[in-house]
Amino acid sequence: MAVNEKGILNRLYFVAGCMFIFGLAVVFKLLSIQFLQGDKYKVMATERVVKDVIIPANRGNVYSVNGNLLATSIPKYDIRLDALTPSSRTFEKYIEPLCDSLSKYTGKSSSKLEKDIRKARANKNRYYLLARNIGYSEYIRLRGFPLLSLGAFKGGLIVEQTTKREHPMGGIAQRTIGYERTDDQGNITRPGIDGAFGIKYLSGVDGQRKKQQIGKGQWKPLNDANEIEPKDGYDVYTTIDVNIQDIAHHALLKQLELYQAEHGCVVVMEVKTGEIRAISNLGRTSKGKYYEKLNYAVGESHEPGSTFKVMALMAALEDKVIDTSTVVDTQRGRKRFYGRYINDSHRGGYGKISAARALEVSSNIGLATIIDEHYSKNPEKFIDRIKEWKLNEPLGVSIIGEGKPDIPEPGDKKWSRNALPSFAYGYNLAITPLQTLAFYNAIANKGELVKPRFLRAVKEFDKNIETFDKEVIVKKICSDETLNKTKEILKNIVVRGTGKKLYSKTFSMAGKTGTARTEYWMDDWEDNPRYISSFSGYFPAENPKYSCIVVIHKPSIKVGFYGADVSGPVFKRVAQKIYTDTPLIDEIESLDIKIESVDNEYEAFYNTAQTYKTIMPNLIGLPAMDALVLLENMQVDVKVKLDGNGIVKEQSINKNTKLTDNQTVVLKAS
Amino acid sequence: MIASSHSADKKVYEIARLKNEVKEMRSAFVDGRSKLMRLKMESHVIKAMKGKGLSISEDPPKKIKVKAKK
Repeated sequence: MAVNEKGILNRLYFVAGCMFIFGLAVVFKLLSIQFLQGDKYKVMATERVVKDVIIPANRGNVYSVNGNLLATSIPKYDIRLDALTPSSRTFEKYIEPLCDSLSKYTGKSSSKLEKDIRKARANKNRYYLLARNIGYSEYIRLRGFPLLSLGAFKGGLIVEQTTKREHPMGGIAQRTIGYERTDDQGNITRPGIDGAFGIKYLSGVDGQRKKQQIGKGQWKPLNDANEIEPKDGYDVYTTIDVNIQDIAHHALLKQLELYQAEHGCVVVMEVKTGEIRAISNLGRTSKGKYYEKLNYAVGESHEPGSTFKVMALMAALEDKVIDTSTVVDTQRGRKRFYGRYINDSHRGGYGKISAARALEVSSNIGLATIIDEHYSKNPEKFIDRIKEWKLNEPLGVSIIGEGKPDIPEPGDKKWSRNALPSFAYGYNLAITPLQTLAFYNAIANKGELVKPRFLRAVKEFDKNIETFDKEVIVKKICSDETLNKTKEILKNIVVRGTGKKLYSKTFSMAGKTGTARTEYWMDDWEDNPRYISSFSGYFPAENPKYSCIVVIHKPSIKVGFYGADVSGPVFKRVAQKIYTDTPLIDEIESLDIKIESVDNEYEAFYNTAQTYKTIMPNLIGLPAMDALVLLENMQVDVKVKLDGNGIVKEQSINKNTKLTDNQTVVLKAS
Repeated sequence: MIASSHSADKKVYEIARLKNEVKEMRSAFVDGRSKLMRLKMESHVIKAMKGKGLSISEDPPKKIKVKAKK
């Protein structure tokens, strides 16, 4: 190539041209990013730092009738360890003390923990789980452990916080208080009150607003026209009484464990209002432990057995086909009805007894005979009575999953000529424990059948959003005459009938035992009989305040299976608890009462105290309490030894003897 | 403009910190309360007092009420 001027210039033009084209390309690209693809990139940029954030609403609390928290949402913590973060010097220094502390906390051996953590470090595990779902106080404790106390950057501590639903009462009444749970497939289960009122009241409405990321994982709210404020859920006040619930739960648990029963439930209801004060449902796990498995009281309809005899007898009394004194022949404990034998549990039978006595001793034959004799020509009449009492319909309580009663009628598949006498003692039909309870409650409540209630009010702070009042299902189930007769029999059952083991001198109760066979249609029943033991009633017998039902399924018959033995004690314990919790009140007109003997005694005591300052007084005949006061308040410092208590019988130093300091006086009292 | 934006950011951090504190305190409160609730329960008291030989009374407490003078 030429090295003359022209050649050099040409080369220069060429380079300048290239640079110019390059410059143009840059400008072109700039413009194309700015104007052609600009919108796309702008959107992407905002998307990364600005987003619509959902502000979750706080779920409302569930309270008991006395204002105790039953369910609330609180943060729970997962503690993890980034095993790579700590330097080897810190790691080696703290690993042992950390494992010692962890071992105290978890109960696992320290060496095993150390091995696991070292392995996590070797495997470059930056997310090693130390504890899951722990409460605040435990979290604080763990945070103070060696290594973890160094924090996230030096110690590798990772804390994750989630909001969990917590029941401060623990497993007690869990099924009734309820919860809302979403499983892996996204199916939601909603048992209990929390479930039933979750969507309507507790959950609230989530809010939404635009936020911009500003670092440290924080988001700053932006001006947003579409902003939605979150609306916190309302609080729900239930009718559950924690104290009664506690007693009912533990009494039931004790009985279930004693009888190794399969499951059981107890419900306590306030007579006048129908408010459920306690409800406990316990089922056995494969390991023989009991927990709130299903809401048996509400959901399980089964053959009630003898507790239904009360309904049968009341129907007959109300229709005036019999009276309590009508004599019924129960024969010798075995009677044939339409080709089938009905037996009484008492061998040899009761012979001829009154209708009232038949219920007291819970005679199957007695009740079956009464009902069959008077209703077999017209079974509809009996069934109409049951329908009038709404026993054929669910109660319509607020909890999801109420069991459906099953009362066959003539023409149904389950109907036969034997159905009617079976009805009389609680077979061939099914109702839920809660229905039975509601009916017994009506007997106690002067015939007014009220709907069992779990809720009192829904509140937003102190403001009532919705209140729930008593709901009457049937205004009067029967005449006062029938009611009084029934109440008398129910009272006598505990005094001298099948429930007499429960009788207590101090407080009164009334109720009916029930021992029903279950699964008797299975072939192995004869070898392995199974029963449902129940007790339903109310207390006190006069002027009832609470009604209660206890149903225990399949107690071990080696221990016992009669309603009075298995379920009765739970009922009695609840009745006793409520009795001892209600003070007896005596009223007096005035505090100015003059009783001469008391005044005289007081005068005598005062005189002795004033006269005997250094000389031993006569203490015989005085209460030990007074004698001690006299001796210890003397001017000399004597030591008093008191044997026994009550009235002083002997004194070691005779009266009128001069006392000296540190002298010992022995008093004998009885 | 920049200064006020920064002061707004600062407030956001402060709010986040306080919120966490509230959560922790609430958690501590519920923790304490449920502990108290369990301790207060009659069944627990019965168990605790068994060692001391105390049991629940068979009779309810008696109250003497003086009628108000009119």
